[in-house]
Amino acid sequence: MKTHESPIDQFDAEALKELRPENQLGKTALVLAAVCVAAWFSNIVNGSPLLDALPGMLILYVMVIIGLVVGRFCPFYLPSVAWVSLVSIIATLPFFPGNGWIIARLAEVDFLAVVTPVLAYAGLALTGREFAMFKQTGWKLVIVALLVFTGTFIGSAVVAHVML
Amino acid sequence: MNIKLLLDWRLHLTVIVTSMFAEWVGIARIPLGPGTLLLLPLLYAFVIGVLFNPHLFSAMGKVIPKPVSNAAGPIILIAILPFIAKFGSTIGPAIEQIIAAGPALILQELGNLGTMLIALPFAVLVLKMGREAIGATYSIAREPNIAIISDRYGLRSPEGIGIMGVYVVGTMFGTLYFALMAGYIASLDILDIRALAMACGVGSGSMVAACSAALAEAVPASKDELLAFAGASNLLTYATGLYISLFIALPITEWMYKRLKGSRQEVSHENS
Repeated sequence: MKTHESPIDQFDAEALKELRPENQLGKTALVLAAVCVAAWFSNIVNGSPLLDALPGMLILYVMVIIGLVVGRFCPFYLPSVAWVSLVSIIATLPFFPGNGWIIARLAEVDFLAVVTPVLAYAGLALTGREFAMFKQTGWKLVIVALLVFTGTFIGSAVVAHVML
Repeated sequence: MNIKLLLDWRLHLTVIVTSMFAEWVGIARIPLGPGTLLLLPLLYAFVIGVLFNPHLFSAMGKVIPKPVSNAAGPIILIAILPFIAKFGSTIGPAIEQIIAAGPALILQELGNLGTMLIALPFAVLVLKMGREAIGATYSIAREPNIAIISDRYGLRSPEGIGIMGVYVVGTMFGTLYFALMAGYIASLDILDIRALAMACGVGSGSMVAACSAALAEAVPASKDELLAFAGASNLLTYATGLYISLFIALPITEWMYKRLKGSRQEVSHENS
């Protein structure tokens, strides 16, 4: 059926490869350092001064690296984000040694300030293809997409509300 | 991807300046009808990022050349990881509350099937869409869901076009929409705020971030608890989402589509 590679097919391969930052640990470690610096500066405004936040940022860096390494060598597949969460959950559990110190250091890093740079990267990263596809997709799929997001949010919220 | 492009100082410096500016502007609250819209710094950061995007305004190529902008794509996936680690650290200390809420937390995963409940009938009956509607509504169209559709139908099929459309809309507006919607619904005070927090866990790092941040700002007193619930729910979605969408969501969407369309119109999608 397919006569040539379309941009969409290329996207497919690209997206799946990019999905696995744990497969190129060396590069990921460097890029991770750069994005941590961005988050560290973003944190100055509503979080803490650079020196106060340094231990917390380093803890986050180390947690991510541990999560990626586990994901890289684990015999079954879970997304790297899941491994990183697990590492950080375990390190902050009440019985984990030094958990109080870890939580106190991480408190210097503002929750929102870490997300702000991610969205700045996201805005800068939109490709010509995405702008073009967006125009082509048309208003119908925009409406449908917003209903999809509303549906999953309300659906989960109603189930949880009834169960709580 | 070339490491020099990934570490380009112009990219990271632009992000730092943008983020600090967005943080400095801070949170804005806009009353709207019975509720309040919350504008978060992440929203300004995204908008400024788009304005600097050389693919949209070619003059911006002087600040951020196009290859550097392309390198920012894979960086997003890495940039979200420190946030995920920070997020996980809200779960550990709250582990007892989370276990107590276990049944609600697990069952609300089924609420992720809500993607097609409103959207599919609307797409088929009102917008008269064909099989694009299946790809568009069976999931929230993030990367793992795309992999399923690509595997089963191919991305050039109608189903593939549907999911890619929602993916692009999600990439461009999903985060912002979740922040606005969650903050607004919380301000209406109809559903338990902890239930809303769990509902934030849709399996997309930036969406859960925006959603739970909006809730935390709407009810600052329960910030830690809300973040813990959202984080736990999101982790659960990462672990189960792929299987739920493959084995439950996709078959249900197919079935609903057939019922909505009626059996005789089924061939009409071939030429779309």
